[in-house]
This record gives sequence, structure tokens and C-alpha cells, in this order.
Amino acid sequence: MIRDLLRDRGFVAGAVIATGMVLVAVTAPLLAALAGQDYTTYHDTLLDSARGGVPIGAFGGISGEHWLGVEPGTGRDLFARLVYGAQVSLGVGIGATVLEVLLGVTVGVAAGLGGRWADAGLSRVIDLVLSVPSLVLAISLLAIVPQDWPRPIILAVVIAVLGWGGTARISRGETLTLRTRDYVAAAQVAGAPWWRVARREILPGLTAPILTYAALLLPTNMVVEAGLSFLGVGVRPPTPSWGQMLSTATTWFRADPAYVFLPGLLLFLTLLSFVLVANGLRRVLDPRQREVLR
Amino acid sequence: MRRLVPAVLSATVLLAGCQGGGGGDTTTSNAAFDPSTCQGGTLTVLNQGGITHLDPARLYTSGGGNLPSLLFRTLTTRNRQPGEAGTKPAPDLATDLGTPSDGAKTWTYHLRDGIQFEDGTPITAADVKYGIERSFAPELPGGAPYLRDWLQGAADYQGPYKQPDGITSIETPDEKTIVFKLSKPEGDFPFLATATQFAPVPKAKDTGVDYEKHPISSGPYQVESYEPKKSLVLVRNTHWSTKVDELRYACPDRIEVTSGLDSAVINQRIVTGAGQDANAVTTDGVVGPEQLAQLGTGSELDKRVTRGEFPSTTYLAFNTKKAPFDNPKVREALSYAINRTSVVNALGGSAVVGPSTTFLPPQKALGYQQYDWFPAGDTGAPDKAKQVLAEAGLSNLSIELAYQNDDSEGIGPKVASAIQESFKQAGVTVKLTAIDTGTYRDVTGKPATQPGLSLATWGADWPSGGPFLIPIFDGRQIITAGGNFNLAQYNDPEVNKEIDAINALTDPAAAAARWGALDAKLGKLALVLPLTHEKDVYLYGKNVKNAYADGWRGQLDVARISVK
Repeated sequence: MIRDLLRDRGFVAGAVIATGMVLVAVTAPLLAALAGQDYTTYHDTLLDSARGGVPIGAFGGISGEHWLGVEPGTGRDLFARLVYGAQVSLGVGIGATVLEVLLGVTVGVAAGLGGRWADAGLSRVIDLVLSVPSLVLAISLLAIVPQDWPRPIILAVVIAVLGWGGTARISRGETLTLRTRDYVAAAQVAGAPWWRVARREILPGLTAPILTYAALLLPTNMVVEAGLSFLGVGVRPPTPSWGQMLSTATTWFRADPAYVFLPGLLLFLTLLSFVLVANGLRRVLDPRQREVLR
Repeated sequence: MRRLVPAVLSATVLLAGCQGGGGGDTTTSNAAFDPSTCQGGTLTVLNQGGITHLDPARLYTSGGGNLPSLLFRTLTTRNRQPGEAGTKPAPDLATDLGTPSDGAKTWTYHLRDGIQFEDGTPITAADVKYGIERSFAPELPGGAPYLRDWLQGAADYQGPYKQPDGITSIETPDEKTIVFKLSKPEGDFPFLATATQFAPVPKAKDTGVDYEKHPISSGPYQVESYEPKKSLVLVRNTHWSTKVDELRYACPDRIEVTSGLDSAVINQRIVTGAGQDANAVTTDGVVGPEQLAQLGTGSELDKRVTRGEFPSTTYLAFNTKKAPFDNPKVREALSYAINRTSVVNALGGSAVVGPSTTFLPPQKALGYQQYDWFPAGDTGAPDKAKQVLAEAGLSNLSIELAYQNDDSEGIGPKVASAIQESFKQAGVTVKLTAIDTGTYRDVTGKPATQPGLSLATWGADWPSGGPFLIPIFDGRQIITAGGNFNLAQYNDPEVNKEIDAINALTDPAAAAARWGALDAKLGKLALVLPLTHEKDVYLYGKNVKNAYADGWRGQLDVARISVK
């Protein structure tokens, strides 16, 4: 299987970029220290105030000290803000995805293995979650959450709570298929309790589809985080996030194109890498797709 | 856009994002411009904020983006000049600025001859009185609150629909004379008489809340169509002429206003100037970084720009009833620590805001006197701040700062972050507390819920020191029920007495000097931390002539623009 994956160039490229991004996020404080910068210090002298606060110098004020230039209007180091922004973007994206998978699989498997009434009840709950206009609800939820609660965690929880429906539905469907298999039926007849059936017999069969789905969910969740930060209900200043940077960049895209380009490029690359990884996983794990691969 | 905030701030709120102007360096008057031959063409106005209620009773003093005065003539009006001359009132429907008597407690006006409504009916003193009475009706909220406070026995008046007998302290001895009896001396009355509440309304045509659908014009234009917040089309009023109005030139034959546009879109359209946009102006879309980057480079755009100043201050409000801001040393230390350069940059750079060490913005009409009691230099004096804090025994100070959760009114996350960073340099930890912009004023304007430290702005209802200082520092103006603007909750009988004394002055120059001195005296107490004052840069279309920012509001004066 690993060999199949490594033969997929898209997967390899995606995996390399994704790993790189995760590394950047994890080592953000180190990288910023290496550059000798932090993400909060204002550098007023690097801005042309009369021109609205655009960075002085080419391509957003790139210099030996500020490797990627400075943020217009504040003069904060863009490199430091971008690497710290990766923490929020990836952290919230991964956190939300993990929560969604936990919640979705639990509910999905319970619905699939439970009786008629449990299934009917849980399925309606899943329908409800899927039909809720999640962005609107997320904005309202985030607006009323007390401000001293840790923002990135709240973001991940809100995104997950509103977005586990898909995982649950897939898990339920797979469970319904799996429970008709002989080995599951055998375990049940042998008197294994339902939680053991779920853990021993069902979950291993769910791994492939859920892993693939999660790899696709992750970029979606990152986009949602970027969107919420763009709309001003994401992380609080001065914490940077790519979505929030893109939001401020909209007023600068002509005067300082570098400021739009950099967070946009990073977000694009990260999303693309995860989609590539997801595609690779799907091809390898899904028997029908394996034929296509050859 | 207008919220139920009955005070001066709403001027700024109303034109959210639009910033006014009124200052000096306007040099765009075309030498060849001749008001007698400027007539013709269609002027396009592209604005962010639309007019929510086109009713003279409901418009705030500076509301409507300078457009209402094309329809509503008032007893006095803004002198339509750039710079300092434009900060003075000028007679409009009245023959002069008003005659004060009884120590400025009685003001008498005489109407000029030949003035008519758009249907040809002559305008009488009774129409002006009726227009003012309507503005007291609870059905028509939104106007400035001053008259209720100033007029004798008007505090509980409920408007002509419920109390048709009217306000007895407004007398109309004949068709041409109107007399106002005030409960206290008010030397600024000629300034207030520029508000649209002083526009005549014919009682026979008043349809109450529906009047705004087609208000009866007394000015050079009348309404052809009006859609609240979206569009307004004005055509000539044939019963108006320059013989009865020397102040308005009324050059275009037709004026088409489109509102609800993004300021970046407005400015991009004006820069490009395609088709009808060549005749376009904006009265509230201040330029953004995109255009600022193009200005001053010798480009063609440099010829299509006007600069003004609206008297407005952005500041940090200390709640002196709350620790640690009850300690003057803390307020002083923060005043030393502030880095105004980063605040200026956060608000759009030195073209559109300037640093302020005084609460009064730098307009002579307001009585501006330079002072800098806690010199922070351009970028803050953190060491001095640390020293003051250490002397007071307060190291490792941690405070909370309340701000609006978006930047539309210039007191949002951008400014808050800049302040947080500059206080950090002085060893003060700032925790940011965002409050929804829609409820921000409700929270900060109620002493019971007011945070210790909050961002605030204040704009003048008219260019005088009174409306700038009174709501902020008069101890009798502390309103516990909500809508309070005396955020320091400062009450000094001496200061209150001085305010009364200045109010009685009818000579604006004498009053201005005293307001300035009062501001300088209050500044020593560090009750507020002034950050910046507003400057305004407006672009206009290629075919637009005689465009300049008026001295009063700093916006383009539509009454004098030509597109011919």
C-alpha cells in the first residue's frame, strides 16, 4: 500500500508540503527567533505614513531583517506573522477535524449498530446538523462566547460541532454495510457486547473511508477558519491567522500586492497539499479507484 | 446607519467611515469658474452611507452627507467656504444671524423677502415654527437633542400631532418674525439654527412619518425620487432662484445620488471616471491606501483631490470611577506611553489622521490651544511611563481595553492592537475586550456597565468648543440611565460654572479663547488620552469643477459644485 502511495506523485508532493507546513507551525517560535522577529512589534519607521501606511521598499518592504517584508499599516514582521498564522490555521483545522471524526464516528456507528429506534433518532439528529446553515450559526455562536475563553479551541469546537454530520452519515452507512458481513454477524451471535463489536469488527473497516474523508475535511475546516477570521469572528488580535491577514489585505491589494500574495499563497499551498494527500489515500484505499490508478 | 444615540457622536456614527473635514489647504477652486454660467449637466454622487430618513425633523446636524441643505433652507446655514471662513454660520432664510437679547436668552430672526416652497407658497415664520415643533414628536426621532434642552418649557413637549398648541417659547409676532425664548443663555444659537430642524415645513402638506417620501423643498432642488439608504434623485425647484439665495450656486440641473457603496469601489470609480462617473463626487468616501499611494506622484489624480478637516477626536476614555484609572498617576503614565505614530498608521496614515495631544482638534473655531502636558513624542516615552508607574508603586500593571469588533468607525481592532503594543513597551499588559459595534455605545454609555478603559470618538455638531467639551466634561451631563458621554464621569462645579459663563458669550472669538483655555486646564488632569484628529481627502471626477471641502464638515459642498 505504501508503495502504491509513493508511486502517486501528487500524494508525495502533497505529503511533503503538508508535513512542511505542520513543521513550520510547530516550530513557529523557533523560526521567528531565527529571523530575530516577533509578530507583535510595530515598526513605524518602515511605513510611508503619508501614503496610507504602505511599507517602504520593494515588494512589501523585504529586507535582510524582514525576510518577507512588513505588514502595511502596522509594520509588524510578515514572516513572523505568517509562521505564527500557520499555528492557528493548521491547529484549528486539525483540531476541528479530529473532533468531527470522533463525534461523527461515535454517532454514526451507534446509529448503524443500534436498533431501529436508535437509528431513526440519531439519523434525524444527523439530518439536523447537516441542514443547519453552519456559517451563520458559527458567526452567532462565536459572537456570544465569552472573550477570555481560548479562542482557537473555541473555533475548533464550534467548527466541529456544526460540521460532524457528514462523517456521521458516512460512518452509519458503512456500519450498516459491515454489520451484514458474516464475521460481524458471527461476533454478534457469539454474544459479543455491542461496544466490542464496534471496536473490534466495525472500526477497522471504517478506517479507510474515514481517513480519506478526514483528509478532505481538513482543508474545508481550514477554509472555514479563514472565512470566520476574515469575517472578524476568528482569533482576536494580535494573534495572526491567514484568513484574518487576507481580510485586512483586501484594502491593500493594489498598494501592497505582496501582503495579499503571501498569506494567499500559503493557504492555497496548504489546502492543495491536503487535497492531494486525500486523493492519494482515496485511490489507494478504495478498491474501485485502484483500477484507475493502474 | 443612524443609531438611537442622541448626541454628537452620532454625527460620526451616521457617516460611519466617512470622515468629514473643514480645514485649510483646499486649492481646487477653478480660476475660470463663474457661478452665473455654471448651470447644466447631471452630477453623480456616490456614497457609502445612504439617507435613512429624508425628513428635516429626523436628520442629525451633520447627517445626510451634505445633501439635505440642497432641499432644506434653514434660518442660518454653514458659510459655504473652505477653511476657516467655512466654520462660521451665515444667514439663509433669515436676514441675519439673529439678534440676541436678555443676555443671549432671547434670539430674534426676521425672514427675508421672496422665499417660497417648491409649490410657490410663500414661506412664513409659522412654517419654521411648525418644522421645529415636528422635531419634538416621538414619531420622528433622530434630530439633535439641543432644542429640547434649550427652549423654555419644551422639555416635555410631544410634538404638534399630540399637542397642536405648539411650543409657547417660540413666538411668531408676524409672518416674517420668529422669536426664541431660551431657559439659559446660549451664544451658539446661530450655529444650532443651521440644523435641518430649523427648515420650514408647510403644515398643510405634513403627512407625519410619510413626509420623508416627498419633503417639500425650500432649496434649489426638489425630490424626484427617493429610496431610503439607496438612492435620491434631485431636480430643479423652479420656485427657487439665486436672487433669494446667494450661498448656493446650484449648478447641475440634476443630481443623482447612489448610496450603499463600498468606499474602495467609490474611489476606484472616481479614479477611472468611465461614462457618467466623470461627473461623480462623493461626500463620505474618504480615500483609502490604494488612492493615497497614487497621490503626490505628479499623476493626473493630484488635480482631482480636495482636503478638509472635520473637527473630530479619537481618544482613550478613562473611567475615573474605576480602578486603576481613579489613580491620576496611571492615567499620566499611559499618556506618556502612547505611541501615536502607530495609531495614526492604524487609522490610515498621516494623510487622513493627525496625532493629537489635545482633546480639542486643531481648528481655530473651536478655540484650539496647543498643549502637551505628558510629552510622549511621536512614538511614545515608555521609560518615562515606567518611571511614573514605579513612583506610584505600580509595576506589572494589567488593564483591559474595550473596543469595537470592527474598524468601520475607526475604534476597532486595528487601533486597539496598536495601543496594546505601545503600552506593552511601558510594561503594561493590555487585555483586549471586543464589544459588538452595534451595542458598543450602549455598554460604554451606561456608567453601570462602562469599562475602565474604552476607545471613543467625538465629533463636533458645529464648529465651536461648546458641543465638543460640554457633553464630555460637564458633570451635570453624566447620564446614569444610558447615552452618557462624560465617560470620565468627571464633575467639578468650577468647570460647570465656567461652561455656563462661556455659553452666555455671543462673540464666537471670545468664547473660543475660553473654550481653549478650559481644554488646556482639563488636559492636565489626564481625564482622556487624546490620540488623533481627523483629516479628510476626497477625490472627484474629471468633469467636476469648483469642488472643495467646506470648512464646517470637511465634505465636498454639493451646493457649489459644477459639472458643466
